[in-house]
Amino acid sequence: MSLNDLSRRSILKAGGALVGTFAMPAIVRADPKEIVVGGPAGAAKYFNGDLFPVLESKLGIKILYEGSNSLTNLQKMQADKAAPKMSVVIMDDPVMIPAAAEGLITPMSTKAIPNLDKLVAGAIHRDGLWANYQKPWAGIAFSTAKLAAAPTSWTEMYDPKYAQKIIVPSLSNTEGFWNLLVAAHLDSGKPYAEAQYDVDAGFRKLKSLKANLLNVYTNAPQAINLLEQGEAWMIGGQFSAYTLIRKAAGSPVDLATPSDGAFAMPSGIAKVTGGPGGDLADAFIDAMLGVDAQSILAAKAFVAPTNPAAPKPAGFPDSATLFAPDWAFVAKERAGWVERWTKEMS
Amino acid sequence: MTHAAAQAPAGKIVDRDRSAALAFLAPSLLFLLVAFVTPLILLLGVSLAGPSGLSLDAYGKLLGTGYYLTVIWNSLRLALLTTIFALAIAYPAAFALARARGMVRTALLTCLFLPLAASVIVKAFAWTILLRSDGIVNRILVGLGLIEAPIRMIFTETALIVGSVNIFLPFMILPIYAVVTQLDRRLSEAAATLGAPPIAAFLKVTLPLTLPGIIAGVALVFSLSVSAYVVPTLLIGERYPTLASTIAKAYLLARDPQFGAAAGVALLVIALIVVTLSARLAGRENSR
Repeated sequence: MSLNDLSRRSILKAGGALVGTFAMPAIVRADPKEIVVGGPAGAAKYFNGDLFPVLESKLGIKILYEGSNSLTNLQKMQADKAAPKMSVVIMDDPVMIPAAAEGLITPMSTKAIPNLDKLVAGAIHRDGLWANYQKPWAGIAFSTAKLAAAPTSWTEMYDPKYAQKIIVPSLSNTEGFWNLLVAAHLDSGKPYAEAQYDVDAGFRKLKSLKANLLNVYTNAPQAINLLEQGEAWMIGGQFSAYTLIRKAAGSPVDLATPSDGAFAMPSGIAKVTGGPGGDLADAFIDAMLGVDAQSILAAKAFVAPTNPAAPKPAGFPDSATLFAPDWAFVAKERAGWVERWTKEMS
Repeated sequence: MTHAAAQAPAGKIVDRDRSAALAFLAPSLLFLLVAFVTPLILLLGVSLAGPSGLSLDAYGKLLGTGYYLTVIWNSLRLALLTTIFALAIAYPAAFALARARGMVRTALLTCLFLPLAASVIVKAFAWTILLRSDGIVNRILVGLGLIEAPIRMIFTETALIVGSVNIFLPFMILPIYAVVTQLDRRLSEAAATLGAPPIAAFLKVTLPLTLPGIIAGVALVFSLSVSAYVVPTLLIGERYPTLASTIAKAYLLARDPQFGAAAGVALLVIALIVVTLSARLAGRENSR
């Protein structure tokens, strides 16, 4: 057939075939047994390796996990607000707050998610807009190859003998707040409950940490890697779900609980407003709050379960001793703190 | 045949050629319009959209605050140093590549192209391993007796420039290499025959002839390094804020799209200036 022989019918046939070819993957993608879950990149390994295969076989679904940081996931949700791709989102509490304010997450009900009723007090926020599915704890991560004993106080990070040996998280990362809080406490002498609002004192004290800083990280795996290599000796404000996983894998690192305070890092799970597969999202969230999933998380990620029927990991500090800050205040002020932090710490 | 009669068919042919050229160009023009021009107009619009209408506040903050001027300077300094060091390494490397033959040329080209296949993240991480206190660079320097004890290299500006030059080097070598392969070696030989010393022959003959490649390489490397985000983030971190990291923070943390867009426009203007200057210089060289 020459080009001149092309008829309207043959063009239509070819067009139909083309549309069919390109439409097929869309039909496959639209499989109702598949949901997209957005969450922290740092959790991808134990989610995909240990947890999701169990949930997939239990629920008969395919879970597509998009690992990123909480703020990036928030940005994605905003961009896709008209046609969300994610069904469920897993983020830190301070990022859930703006997501809730912008209507990006939708209330969950105990009728669709019965395990909500079984969680410890304080794990459900804003009448079910999000729930904490786990609580890692934060302290000082340290190199067991470089330090003979675990740091016992946050003041140790300020000792001049650790010049250029300390890494801290950026305030852009949720765990970065612990250093500001501790600095405010050390400078003002106030208890954490009051010191958390004395941000000026925190910044004043943090400036004296600059000489000891090897780096301020936004990329947690890179920081942990430097600790494992012995290039950094301590990471202030690190949490169990990163450090203790590496310790369990045989790396010379550990997580210290300073006598002057360790902290609770609540991680939330929520249903995306208008997200696809609503029933699947409910089933997935219910499973995440169930005993089986929480037991796996406790064992593999060293986090405290929020379902009391699941066992706490060995060595987890007494939850009553872990300070939980005013996350609403943190969420409201963080952008300004980050700008100030970048100006004063760079 | 009158003059007018002879002109008419020629005019028609020109018109037909123009129409054909436009028809061929149309898909790419449409793509450029949708994928580049529209987002740029939107970016400019967002940078001027204040809470209560048209506002230049974001530009005022960017250009009127000492801290943000430092941020702009950091980006420019990173791009300038990367471009200078990349050029210094790439120029002789391009000649070596062009003059090499057979297996040697294949091996050199493989060395040039293979790193392009590796992710920037992997390369940046690799530098943090090489430059750490017990890394190979410190060991070599101690072994050679150049330093007594390992020195801190990671998370310094030196590490940033070293990593950045390494990552962007192929983009400098390739355009220069493309020009050098076209260079007629007899021209410098002729200059020597006419009594020009090697330096004079290089400055008067070789360098001007390879200038288009240098200009293209400089424009590419400068534009890539001035807007780099991953490389500074991994190699020096937050203590070296750049325009790219400022944009990310404005959108992700401060939730201030106007300021983020203004920083994006500033980055674009810097890149545009460099590309326009390069194009002008290249045009001048071609017209000689």
